[in-house]
Amino acid sequence: MTRSERKRLRSGIGFTSLWIVGLAAFTAYPVVASLYYSFCDYSILKSPVWCGLENYHQLVRDDLFWKSLRNTLFYAGLSVPLGTVVALGLAVLLNCEVRGRSIYRLLFFMPSIVPAVASAMLWLWIFNGEYGLMNGFLNPILAPFGLHAPTWLADPAWSKPALVIMSLWGTGNAMVIYLAGLQNVPGELYDAAAIDGASAWQRFCHVTLPVIAPVVAFNAIMAIISAMQLFAQAYIMSEAANGNGNASDGNPARSTLFYTIYLFSTAFQDLRMGYASAMAYILFLVTALLTWMAARLSRSRHGDAI
Amino acid sequence: MGTQSEMPGRRTLSRMVVTTLLVVFSAAFVVPFVWLLSTSLKPIEQTLSLPVSFVPKAYYASLGGTRMEVTMDFQVSKAGAVVRFLSGEGAGTLGYLGPEQLAAQSASVVVVHPVAGGWWHVTQRIDRRLGEGGPRPLWDVLPREQIDSHVKFRWENYPRALAAIGGDAESDRHRVGFMTFLGNSLTVAILGVLGTVISNAMVAYGFARLRWRGRDAFFALTLATMMVPFPVLMVPLYGVFKALGLIGTLLPLWLPTWFGSAFNIFLMRQFFRTIPEELSEAARIDGCSEWRIFWRIILPLSTPVLVVAALFHFIFVWNDFLGPLLYLTRKDTYTLALALESYQTQNGGVQWHYLMAASAVTILPVIILFLLAQKTFIRGIATAGLKG
Amino acid sequence: MPRMTRRAFRLLPVLLAVALTAPAGGQEPQGQPRVHVTYWEKWVSFEAQAMQQVIDAFNRSQDRITVDYYSTSLVDRKTLVATAGGDPPDVAGLNAQNVATFADAGVIQPLDDFIRGDGTSDKEWLARYYPIYARICSHGGHVYAGISTPAVMALYWNKTLFREAGLDPDRPPRTLAEFNDYSRRLTKRDPKTGRLTQVGFLPQDPGWWPWIFCRWFGGSLFDGRRITFATDPRNVAAFEWIQSFTKFYGLEDVKLLSSEFGPWASPAAPFFTGKIAMVFQGVFYDNYIRQYKPGLDYGVGPWPEAVPGVRDFAMAEADVLTIPVGARHPREAWAFIKYINSCNPNARTRGELRGAELLDYLQVKASPLQVWSPFFAEHNPHPHIDIMRRLSASPDAVCIPDLGIWQEYFREVISAFDRVRLLDATPEEALGYSQARLEKSWDRYRRSLERHGQWSALGEVAP
Repeated sequence: MTRSERKRLRSGIGFTSLWIVGLAAFTAYPVVASLYYSFCDYSILKSPVWCGLENYHQLVRDDLFWKSLRNTLFYAGLSVPLGTVVALGLAVLLNCEVRGRSIYRLLFFMPSIVPAVASAMLWLWIFNGEYGLMNGFLNPILAPFGLHAPTWLADPAWSKPALVIMSLWGTGNAMVIYLAGLQNVPGELYDAAAIDGASAWQRFCHVTLPVIAPVVAFNAIMAIISAMQLFAQAYIMSEAANGNGNASDGNPARSTLFYTIYLFSTAFQDLRMGYASAMAYILFLVTALLTWMAARLSRSRHGDAI
Repeated sequence: MGTQSEMPGRRTLSRMVVTTLLVVFSAAFVVPFVWLLSTSLKPIEQTLSLPVSFVPKAYYASLGGTRMEVTMDFQVSKAGAVVRFLSGEGAGTLGYLGPEQLAAQSASVVVVHPVAGGWWHVTQRIDRRLGEGGPRPLWDVLPREQIDSHVKFRWENYPRALAAIGGDAESDRHRVGFMTFLGNSLTVAILGVLGTVISNAMVAYGFARLRWRGRDAFFALTLATMMVPFPVLMVPLYGVFKALGLIGTLLPLWLPTWFGSAFNIFLMRQFFRTIPEELSEAARIDGCSEWRIFWRIILPLSTPVLVVAALFHFIFVWNDFLGPLLYLTRKDTYTLALALESYQTQNGGVQWHYLMAASAVTILPVIILFLLAQKTFIRGIATAGLKG
Repeated sequence: MPRMTRRAFRLLPVLLAVALTAPAGGQEPQGQPRVHVTYWEKWVSFEAQAMQQVIDAFNRSQDRITVDYYSTSLVDRKTLVATAGGDPPDVAGLNAQNVATFADAGVIQPLDDFIRGDGTSDKEWLARYYPIYARICSHGGHVYAGISTPAVMALYWNKTLFREAGLDPDRPPRTLAEFNDYSRRLTKRDPKTGRLTQVGFLPQDPGWWPWIFCRWFGGSLFDGRRITFATDPRNVAAFEWIQSFTKFYGLEDVKLLSSEFGPWASPAAPFFTGKIAMVFQGVFYDNYIRQYKPGLDYGVGPWPEAVPGVRDFAMAEADVLTIPVGARHPREAWAFIKYINSCNPNARTRGELRGAELLDYLQVKASPLQVWSPFFAEHNPHPHIDIMRRLSASPDAVCIPDLGIWQEYFREVISAFDRVRLLDATPEEALGYSQARLEKSWDRYRRSLERHGQWSALGEVAP
């Protein structure tokens, strides 16, 4: 290396030194350690003892593992498409030239910054089977048909849909992104389509959608990754809905036992940290795959985004 | 964006449709907030009443000759009477009897006044703590017309909720005050924001404004770490902090921010790259060290991205639940998020009005911050989401 | 002036030195600051207040240690997490069912060294308790806990309903056969609708310890090496007996009746409202009767004889005091635990009660210690203390097995219990299913213990 190269290297390392430490201590070491632990019998109170593939074997035969996976996929499968449609729909509406847009934008966005705990408390109350707002609104409508609104969080069939509805309240985040994406659609494309005599709907399908498709896809994938790691709301709501103590069981009837919750309870309540590490690595693989797909999409749109 | 080729009539129609939809949807998004505030300002008995109502009220009626505040308990369905028992265990006390019971016991009671169907049972409203003793409240069964009502917001719910959030004032010797929780949250937030801004700016500068061997590979590695989900790091990190004796303190929540984070490095690097290279070059020619360039030239120009990073991190800290749940064991170190969650599990039943009040207080700082920095927020999110 | 000031200045250091080193009035000489022991306990309301009084007495009785009581919900989980994180309390108030699991996991530390440090052997220490409580405190041959609140279960019956059925209200059933017979005679139906209005006994009320019926029938749940839930025929017999109640009453009829039950701690509880004539409940139940149904005419007696020759069968359980691994002040924690597990054997007045007896007096429970002071024995506030004492002392008392996977076992028992009593499965099926799952679980648990070198140390454990 030349002298100036060495000098620049020193400079570079100097500036990034904090990150070097951070990366090593808080990312690299844990990633490697986790892999090691996933092959061990480890509770933090006893040293890890190698046990080969036993954790992974047990995982495959663990019905709670599969249940948590199903619950998580169900939730992601509902909340991401619905959330995308809602966010995109709102963005389209906000993209129109109407008065007071910024106020509407404010109102749609605000719920997405509400802290998860507070939001969970509020929706717990809204979904209260007897006195909550949701049933206060639904019961009078359903009563003439002889129907009764569900008890939501106390009902295994309705607890996940309740969480999905709650997640829709927080789509303001995605909406802002989509709005920016919509505003980046070049006006000439619309003009050209108008000249060809396209209706509003046709313009939407053939101009808008194709242009924003990569943005939507990218954010949808990010949303899936985030949905797979849902923790706070599910933890709080399942604990509250079923009396003290059993947050990590995903009550009622383990319907809200999500992947991260099962992981957490295995690690920090059963103290089976090796087992939890195996679960974490499986999550890692899935997330890595999804992220890679997202990165491909982003790159294809930007050329070289990096 | 609309186009010019629509006919005026159609444009107005579509604008009306859009506006209507926006109004309806924004109402749907706002209603939960309204419900939050409304519940927080109600007395407990009105939170547990049907049909659901948004407006907290106060009811007044005349009991025993005095006008006082009452609670509306339930409606009687059939005509009966308020009676005084003449014999037996409850001799001398008042009671309400339905028509069959009245007929059966007519000999042993004296009718105080008859009651028609649809009348309301009301009880004197005494603001008492749960379990506190005192004289038995007066009650009566009255027609709706004799009960007045007006809107009354129970602002006292707020100080009471905050006083109780750390433990019941009466029985808990070690109750923690609300200010302690707030202080903990602020400590983590402020120290975290400082760490985020300082460390990531430095690192991003190293990646964006300097050329050195291995830089791009290192940066690619940095990006790769963004896809590591937290659960993978959770267990070993816990072990690291335990070995350092930091479990039970606030340090694990903010210390790592002083060592950089991939997302913020990425964000800031994007921004730094937009600053013209000529500025740096000129300074270098003048003999400035890299640090001086960073400190004197680049940083001052980077306020927008620094503010965005600071805001994002603040929101993250305020929102963070898993972190505090993992690392904090003692109640006096709890952050607001954890305190709110454990408030909900303490006591027998949930007191919704207090819980909503406490939740509202937790939400408030974030909302205020947002209103002050709206544009920055929104621009920041849009940038992050678009650039991917 | 200047001269005075200069002299004053020269005196100043001397004054300061004196002021700083001399003890202030009212402080202990040789000011050793008191050690603060953190004590996490699950109790609230009057039980917490009772413990607080005992703690105050302990704090007053010596000047080295101050115990701080922290009311903690989910105390077992929180202790586990805090210990794992290296920041545990000094004393953790757990339950008997946590002892084996936490001991195996390395969450609580054995107390043997502390006991020996006091100059006694484990055996001598444990001899202060009734044998059943000594068992609860031990795991794998070591002492892991002290008792805070003992509970023993007895038969409670409704004397009014007995009278109505033509039974002697002061003579409870003495054998299993009599029990079954009484139960049938105490069952009433509405003549018009045929619905049940009253039953003699319902296994699911309260339904907190369904495993006890297996032990009552003489069955064993764990023989020290293997799970015996389904393999011991007496367990199957017990579950058949449980199922016989549903068959006798009719499943739908039982469901209808059960829908009228209120919560057990309320005036609408089935025993209080005369819907169930006999229940097996704990020593604490009298408090609840007094609170929710003060006029109830009830009796308390021993369990009927199910296994011939076993007269005073009883179930015992307890809340326990443990010292987590990594506690900062284990010696002081032990001093406190010792205090709670001792008493003043010569107390003749209320003011002379100490330790366990003071706590149990205030919480209205029996004492787990063999020796009772005259005052505690004769002026005990519990109306049926004699029966409770007899059952505590009984050599045939049982407690949960000393098994690390007990919590999971317990859940399996409940699940089998529900299936059997709801006629979803035969006893053999239900027990067999649970047995298979438990065997796998136990196998895995044992392998883990072996890996960490803990299995051989455990040795044979009592069933």
